[in-house]
Amino acid sequence: MFGAWLKVFAAALTIALTDGAVASAQSDAEQEESASDPAVRSALLWSLAQIVPSPEVAYGEATARFGLRWQVTPLLYSFGIYRQAWRWRAFVVEPFVRQSGSVELFLGPEYLVQGRGLADGWLWRIGARSYFPIIERGESLSVSVGTSYSELAGHRGVAYEAGVYTLFGLVGAQITWSPTGGEATTIATLRLRYF
Amino acid sequence: MVRALALASSLAGAACACTRLSNRVVDPAHPYFEPPAHDTPRSDDALLSVLWIGHATVLVQMGDKWILTDPFLVDTMGEIQRRVSPPGLEAACLPEKIDAVLVSHLHPDHLSYASLDLIEHKVKRLFVPRGGLAYVPDLAFDARELPAWTSFEEGGLRVTAVPVQHVGGRYGIDAAWMTHSFTGYVVEYRGLSVFFGGDTAYDAPDFRRARERFPHLDLALLPIAPIRPRDHMRTLHMDPDEALDALGVLGARTMVPIHFDTLVAGKDSPGEARETLRARARDRGVADHVDVLRIGERRVIVPM
Repeated sequence: MFGAWLKVFAAALTIALTDGAVASAQSDAEQEESASDPAVRSALLWSLAQIVPSPEVAYGEATARFGLRWQVTPLLYSFGIYRQAWRWRAFVVEPFVRQSGSVELFLGPEYLVQGRGLADGWLWRIGARSYFPIIERGESLSVSVGTSYSELAGHRGVAYEAGVYTLFGLVGAQITWSPTGGEATTIATLRLRYF
Repeated sequence: MVRALALASSLAGAACACTRLSNRVVDPAHPYFEPPAHDTPRSDDALLSVLWIGHATVLVQMGDKWILTDPFLVDTMGEIQRRVSPPGLEAACLPEKIDAVLVSHLHPDHLSYASLDLIEHKVKRLFVPRGGLAYVPDLAFDARELPAWTSFEEGGLRVTAVPVQHVGGRYGIDAAWMTHSFTGYVVEYRGLSVFFGGDTAYDAPDFRRARERFPHLDLALLPIAPIRPRDHMRTLHMDPDEALDALGVLGARTMVPIHFDTLVAGKDSPGEARETLRARARDRGVADHVDVLRIGERRVIVPM
């Protein structure tokens, strides 16, 4: 199962580093950027931004563990941007496009620090989330709700989440709650995300 | 309350930058800017007039048409920086119908979402540079991209995008692929023409081409700050000297400076841009062609 998740994540990153970023840049403006325009450079910058993890604390059965979360957005539909602009994004998502109102699919790993083997600390999650703008079209304040399916050391379950974001969506706080229990029943995440 | 919470969160998130900024916010008693005027828009005494609202925001009247540039009508830029001088005109006091809003680029002090919300139902059409539509909220007005050297005309009002030198994007890394999302504009109506430079560095070839195409500019709205540190600002912003050079290349009859005395940016001393421009204009003998307005001040450029 771990291997399967890893393959999905790697495939997603591969797409993002090649076609995804380029497609976003082109649809972004319906532009005819010249051949010298730095699509690859933009993908590299974007991927560097994705490396930055979001710290979190997971509370489970009488334990609290520090963790790190990464995530990518394979697909997003924005309902906040101008009606004649292209509303779909894959991987590379401008903060305004996300925070002004959107629905996204997300996936990614989390690593929860523990005393067992390295592989046992990985939590894999796939889910859907919707953002709603509150102030300045979401750039100053926005909220989200979502749900996800996750696996941690063989324990699978669903989770529900809510979040609040500010500073162009760069900083946020998310609470993820899984009614099925396990070692990560409640996760509090300081969400750091740049594109 | 919600705005206060957002501001507090933003400040916490950008503690270093905002500490530096807040330390530099000038005491209102300090003569950072000249006392604001409180003029109101009118069109019965002029064929062409301007009212400087602050920063790059200018209400231009051309006959019976109203044009608003880079509307920044709120007290803060993206809830992370407070302006040092309030807008010279409240959104409610703007004309009921604004024929064209010109957005020069996508930075939050030029494409202000809170400001657009305030004027949504007054605006007929908003223009953004190439690539800009993705950053426009879904508001009631019509919005369209205007790539360089393309025009849109309606009711005799013609808006043409002209190239300038700045930086694209809104968030930093998007500048890498939004390489054309900044522009200037020339607006023409009933034989009058106005150049709006937005936020630009000095680029003689661009200005020369603009003059070739628009040889009889009545007015040029040109940015003059931030000035320092010059090595960094030179590629992004004109200083007063360069703005006067641009005026010479463009050949406009009158220049109204913009983009100063509104936000703390760079290392300029209080009032430096304004006073430097006045001094240099005197030195060059072009003071009669340079009209330095106070925020909120209206000036008739071409009388009725």
